Amino acid sequence: MSFVKIITILLVLGLAGCQDNLLPSDSDERPTVVTGILGNQVGQIAPDFTLESTLNTFHTLSSEYSTHDGVVLYFTMWCPVCDSHMSHMRSTYIANYPNVQFLIIDYVTGSVTNARSAQVSGGYSGLTVLADINQTAMNLYDGTMGTTIVIDSLGIVQMNQDYSDGSKLGQVLSALP
Amino acid sequence: MNKKALNTALLVGAIFALPQTLYAASCCGGGSASSLVLPKFSNGMVDISIDRESYNGFWNKDGDYVEDPPDSELTQWRVNVGYAHRLSERWQVSATLPYVWNDSQYSGISSRTDGIGDAAVSVWYEAFDAIKCVWKVRRASDLIPAAYFGATVTLPTGISPYDDVENSFDVTGRGFYRLDANLLLDKTIYPWNGTLALSYGKYMERPVNQEYGKYVEPYDKKLGDRKLVTLSGGYSQFLENMDSLTYTLAYAYLKEEQGTLNGRSDPTTGIQKDSLSATIAYSTMDRNWIVKMSFNHTIKEDGYGENFPATDTITMGVSHVFR
Repeated sequence: MSFVKIITILLVLGLAGCQDNLLPSDSDERPTVVTGILGNQVGQIAPDFTLESTLNTFHTLSSEYSTHDGVVLYFTMWCPVCDSHMSHMRSTYIANYPNVQFLIIDYVTGSVTNARSAQVSGGYSGLTVLADINQTAMNLYDGTMGTTIVIDSLGIVQMNQDYSDGSKLGQVLSALP
Repeated sequence: MNKKALNTALLVGAIFALPQTLYAASCCGGGSASSLVLPKFSNGMVDISIDRESYNGFWNKDGDYVEDPPDSELTQWRVNVGYAHRLSERWQVSATLPYVWNDSQYSGISSRTDGIGDAAVSVWYEAFDAIKCVWKVRRASDLIPAAYFGATVTLPTGISPYDDVENSFDVTGRGFYRLDANLLLDKTIYPWNGTLALSYGKYMERPVNQEYGKYVEPYDKKLGDRKLVTLSGGYSQFLENMDSLTYTLAYAYLKEEQGTLNGRSDPTTGIQKDSLSATIAYSTMDRNWIVKMSFNHTIKEDGYGENFPATDTITMGVSHVFR
């Protein structure tokens, strides 16, 4: 088989399945959101849930946001990316926003014991980690690795996106009433 | 625990997977170099290898080693197909394409995903005419190594976090174009062999309008510059029928600087990894067939990586050289 044929096959394979990366789009495709209704998008009313923490205390979301300036939910699977996000969040925001409740949602380890083990192993003993054993919060907020949710004290979602470099979280936290 | 959560675990590996594909050969053939480079006086080469990379913890941004969550077992398999072709006495080109399978067991639940990885196309210039392998050093010029200068373009043919994928987690590539400048120095004084490979890569900035299957406010993203240094030394043992076995030990240092989002430095990115590998290669007398097996190992202690999964990789490969 000639080299040209091999290159052609490679290109066809790539172009057939990977257009999104070979020719990435910069268009804004976000769906229109209806605000003021129950949902996980910005402007919607945050769905409530109760989860057990790794210290065996129960946290109800509505109780948390009504007693704080706001709540940050961060979905972790204790991976390198999550670790870099959590480390940045801890050093940059948690200490600077003492009236905001930061809740780390462990949606993968499947038990309070395992979640606590991962938390301690990762060096995050000081954070409040909730064990989302049945993926209740994950499903309510369509969460995945790195998803960061901010809910204000009125229970309105102010942010729902990947943590990325953390700059968006800083903007949203500074704008909380 | 659902499949989505399990697949997420393998995303991590797939994002950072930097396959150190096992290739042949040195300038004189027989198999020692770490890049898909044709031996002198050969017209083409096909290389096929299989990697099994197992994930076992990671290093955080501070370089501290962190264990994986309990009961997790993450494995990635790759089949790498490569072809190198001689254009002229000093010029050659090559192309590689991996196919990736992610295999995970997490708390007794299995998950498997697969897809094409990122392809790479390289061009190499050989800065020498005669073979640089010698049996004995008789003059100073016998110490001159074979020098190759190359450029590699990595194409984002794999499935990245920025693709429109159903569950968003079947990631097999990084999603960025990258251009690497390569230098490979290879010297054989039988039965010993040494190589030094240097690579410096720059990623191209790209727009992003979705992450993990969710549309987001569009932004521009760029990964940090990438440096890779590989130093290896080997010993060849000739068998009675003049087939040979070559044993190689190698050290690799990989560093990727922080990336940018809309031109701002992203403090959550940037990676580093040290790794060691041992390779044994069997070559026929005519150097036309080479069978290799390699074990790549990372030291799972503090200080041997940053923001990167700790993995061990077993690779088996075969190369056929066309004269």
